[in-house]
This record gives sequence, structure tokens and C-alpha cells, in this order.
Amino acid sequence: MKIQSRSIFLIYALGLLLIVLFLLDIRLGSISITFAEMLAHISGKASLSDQQVLILTKFRLPRIATALMAGAALPVCGLQMQTLFRNPLAGPYVLGISSGASFGAAIVVLGAGATGIVATWSLAIAAWIGAGTVMLLLLFVSYRIKDVMTILILGIMFSSGLAAIISIMQYFSQASALKSFVIWSMGSLGNVTGAQLSIMAWAILPLLVLTLAYSKVLNGLMLGEEYALSMGVRIQRTRLVIFATTSILAGTITAFCGPIGFIGIAVPHMARFLLNRSDHRVLMPVSMLTGMVVLVFSDIVSRLPGTDQILPINAVTSLIGIPVVIWLVVMNRKAQSL
Amino acid sequence: MTHRQAEHIISLDHFSIGHHKENALLSKLKLTVNRGEMVALIGRNGAGKSTLLKSMIGLLAPLDGVCLLEGLPFADYTLPQRARKVSFVSSQITQLPALSVGELVGLGRMPYTGWMGRKSPEDRASISQALDEVQMTSFSERKLDCLSDGERQRAMIARAFAQDTPLMVLDEPTAFLDIPNTYELIRLLSRFRDGGRSIVYSTHDLETAMQCADKMWVIHEGKILEGAPEDLGMSGLFNELFFTSGISFDEQAGRFLFSGKERGRVSLEGEEEKSLRWTSNTLKRLGFRLDKGAGKRIRIEYSNNEYSWILQRNGGSLRFESLYTLARFLIQE
Repeated sequence: MKIQSRSIFLIYALGLLLIVLFLLDIRLGSISITFAEMLAHISGKASLSDQQVLILTKFRLPRIATALMAGAALPVCGLQMQTLFRNPLAGPYVLGISSGASFGAAIVVLGAGATGIVATWSLAIAAWIGAGTVMLLLLFVSYRIKDVMTILILGIMFSSGLAAIISIMQYFSQASALKSFVIWSMGSLGNVTGAQLSIMAWAILPLLVLTLAYSKVLNGLMLGEEYALSMGVRIQRTRLVIFATTSILAGTITAFCGPIGFIGIAVPHMARFLLNRSDHRVLMPVSMLTGMVVLVFSDIVSRLPGTDQILPINAVTSLIGIPVVIWLVVMNRKAQSL
Repeated sequence: MTHRQAEHIISLDHFSIGHHKENALLSKLKLTVNRGEMVALIGRNGAGKSTLLKSMIGLLAPLDGVCLLEGLPFADYTLPQRARKVSFVSSQITQLPALSVGELVGLGRMPYTGWMGRKSPEDRASISQALDEVQMTSFSERKLDCLSDGERQRAMIARAFAQDTPLMVLDEPTAFLDIPNTYELIRLLSRFRDGGRSIVYSTHDLETAMQCADKMWVIHEGKILEGAPEDLGMSGLFNELFFTSGISFDEQAGRFLFSGKERGRVSLEGEEEKSLRWTSNTLKRLGFRLDKGAGKRIRIEYSNNEYSWILQRNGGSLRFESLYTLARFLIQE
């Protein structure tokens, strides 16, 4: 009972924190829009200026919606990989799925030199294909090789190999294409609007619900695949579902926002630490919530309140996530367990 | 052989196991497990114990042959159906999840809960019964990485118990345990057996297995011999089994001896039973053979609650106050 009330308290606390950060994030920027003004606008008492409405609907709300979706989805990928590979340092980034997506993006931006509207769609599709290819390779390898460390090393090798190819492509590409790719690879939550946002929502939200429904199965996997099988888990199907959801989630986010580092690895550990338990039925929603809190917070930090400068989001999340991973490895003995 | 097929919870026929078709570890096995029976699987490292257990319950694919579970081919059961018939405890302790004991045992209810894993009152009753069986009710909130080897193994067994299956299969459940924990665990399994479950477990520990198993499967030279421990003991199998490894089986005592150096014959006399038994253990351990007509004689004297051992040879005699000093002298001689 004590444990359950802790989880419920945590969910409320994170929810509240998220709302506070959400309001803060909306307010921040060169033109201030307070929550009271927004409420007044919605209730019709006083209206915002056209400029304010434009900023809100075209920039700030889509950006925060993107942050919320990416913040929920990346920890889900990380958590699924950590549980499946039973390795606390697994994550979409470590296993090379994000590199696969980057490779796809690089082909579109650097290879084909696509820009504008064409780029939006082809970028997403290419990143999906890239992420999916790496995932299928990992899937194939993991059927052949039982040892999880080997699979992890192979994932890191895929990742490095793709990075090498991308750097060759960068070397031979034109300055303008190179610049767009470099900016893409720094990550941004602010480029997703309109149709892109709805594609992202369609790709991500149903899968988030699906992963919540898979929590029980993930619990079964915590003891390894043999135990899971003996408890009636259909291993092949489960692997397929986990690999597929992870590649679609990570691939979609990377396609639209560029790589966003360390959220996938670090947030599940933060959630475990906060919850002090590993039951995926609570760990999964708490990871999603924590991820949203962390990414909205990172977004606020990246906007450098009080200045006109914006930091690349990937750098901010890495700087927040890296200490968590270091703390995990160096300070915390429990890093050995999931 | 008038048993009906369904009396066997497991019945293997023409069963071959291994990792490659051309190179079977064990082939054409014909073995059975009855209801409410404890079977100990004995064999050397690499003989195929784990492979047999896993192939038998569908965790590995057998190379050939039939496995009937309660009279029906194993393949006819769906995975969730199997999970209600057979539970498994692995020999590997790889990475432990940060679960509490209660949560771990709760995993055993997976085959019974719905897609969200919500536990019914029946599930909860099962979990608390399992914790009670292994005497870990007070450990329910404790994390797995804060347990001793023995406690952890009991928790793993409680998880299998909570799965509430007529057959429990355990791969070397005592491998990492000290002797008291080993006995504790075997006693636990015997209690499950007495409660009507069938238990199959693999072990290196022949001595404990001899004392509790209803049946033994002994892997020897690519075959499996099946029978009561005593049947196998009488057949002289155990001496053969350990012939090369410097261990011999004392058929009278029903236990194993390390056969070191041969040290000749000695005769032993004395009135008091306990001291005779322990002295003979010492002498056997050192490699002496007991023989009434031997020139070397040991006599045990017992007075005022003190034992002493008199060694007589070549006319001379020496007195020792403990078996240790006697043994030291005999070795150095």
C-alpha cells in the first residue's frame, strides 16, 4: 500500500510540475503571453493580439506539443531496450537506431539536396527507413546471437559505422546542404508545425498506448527471455512488437526533431530512482511523465530566458542526461540491476 | 506396465536433444515423471542436464521424439496453457531486476492475470501462500539485490510455486548454496512434492538426491538410467559413474568417498558405537581399508567422557587424544 501511494503521489507531483513548466514555457520569449491572458482569450473576455495568437498557435504550442511527444516517446524506447537487453545502458541512441535515422536524413539532405516541403516528407520517410533498417539488423543479429553484450557492441558498431559514412557524405557535400544537415543534427523542437505535427502525433500516440498495454509483458521479460517463455510470453511476437515500436518512435522523433540525446537512456533511470520499483505498469507512465518534464525543462533552458539566443536542444538534453548516466555508473551500485 | 498414459505428467519417448541435428547430446530417451513424484537428474558438467530439462518443457526445441504432457503432445498446448502446467527455475543468476521479493513472486501469476496484469484476490492469496511456503513473508518488500544466495533462490522458487503448476522444473537449484541452504531447499521441494506437485531438478549433489528423490535419472555414457536411488545404488552404477574422477561410492554406507592414496589395511576395535563410526570414517578418508586381521591395530578407549586411540604396530604402541592427531601421525608415517 505504501508503495502504491508513493507512485500515485509521484504521478500527481510530476503532473503538477509539468503543468507549471508548460505555462512557463508558453510565457517565455520575446513577446510575453501570460496564462491569464490566454484564459481571457479562450473565455472571450479579452482577446490576444493577432501577433500573439500567431506566435502561440504557430510556434509555441506546436513546439511544446513536440517536446511533450518526444519527451514521452524517447524514454519508452530506452526503457523497452533496457528491459529487453537487460542492460542499463541500452537506449535507442546507443543501439544505433538514431544513427540509422540520421543516415536516412543525411541521404535526403546531403545526397539529394532536398529542401522545403519535399524535404519534410522525404526526411521523415528516409529517417524511418534508416531507423527500421538498423532495427531489423539488430533483430536478425539478436536471433543468431544470444549474448546481449554482443548485440549491444554490434549496435554501437552500427552506430559508429553509419557516423563514418555520414561524415564522408558531409565531406563531399555542398556548403548549404552541409549547414542544413548540421543544424538538423543539433536537434530542434521548433521545426514541427501543421501537417508534420499531426503526422508525428498519429505515429506516436497510438504506439504510446500500445507500449502501456505491453507493460505486463515487459515485466515478464525482466527475468530474461527463458523465464518469460516459461510464464507464457510469446517471445518472438514480443521482440517484434518492441523492436517495431522502438524504431517507429525513435525514428519518427529523430526524423522531425533531429537526434535528441540521453533522454532515452537517462529518463527511465530517473523514473526508477523516483519510484524505487521496476514494475513497468507504473514505470512506463512515470517514465513518460518524467521525460515530458525533462524535455519541456530542457526546452526552457535552451531558450536561455532573458536572452535572444537559443541553444540546440540536443546539447541541452545531453548536458542534463550525461550527469545522470555518470552518476548511475559511478555512484550507484544498483546500476547493475534494472 | 499397466499405468495409464495420463498418470504420467511427463512422458518422453524417442526423445533426442542437443544443439545440432547431426550431433545429439542424448538420443532416444524414454523417461517418465509421475504425479507427486520428485525426480533428480544427475550428470556431469556438459552432459546435457540443462538441455534435457529445457527441451522437455519447450524452452528449447528437441531434435526428435515425443513429449507428452498429461497425456497430450506438448506442441498441442499454447504457451499460456503450458505456463499453467509447468514452471521453471533457471540455474543462471544473470542480472537481477530491482524488484522486491513480493513483486518477483507476483510475476508467477502472469499466466492467470489479464492483459494489464491486475491481480485478483485469488492471485494475491497464491502469492502470500508462496511467500509463506518459503518463509519469506516478512521479506516481501525487500529488494532482490539485498538478499543472500539462499534467500534469493527461495524467492525464485516461490515465484515458480505461485505459478501454481502441477510440474515444477528446476535447473541446479542448489548450485550456489552452502550445505544448510541446500538441505533447506531440498526439504522445501520435498514439501511441494508431498503437497501433490511433481518436481524435476538437476543437481551434482548425489548425496542429497539419494536421500530425497523418488526417482533418479542418471546420465551415463550418452544414456539415461532411470530408477529409485537404491535401484541405481544396487546396480553398482555409481562406482562406475565416478570411476575416473577419484571418487568411490561406499555401497554399504550409501555415500561417496574421495579415493586418494591406498594406505593399506588396519583393524579397528572398540566398544562405543559412535566413536567406531567416526573413526572408521577417518580411516576410510585417509585411504585405509578396514581388515580384522591386519597387523596395524587401532583400539578406542572410552573412560571419564574422554576418548583415546591406541595405535599398535610392530610391538610398539602409541596413544592419541584426538582423531586429528591420529590422522596426522598415520599420514606422516
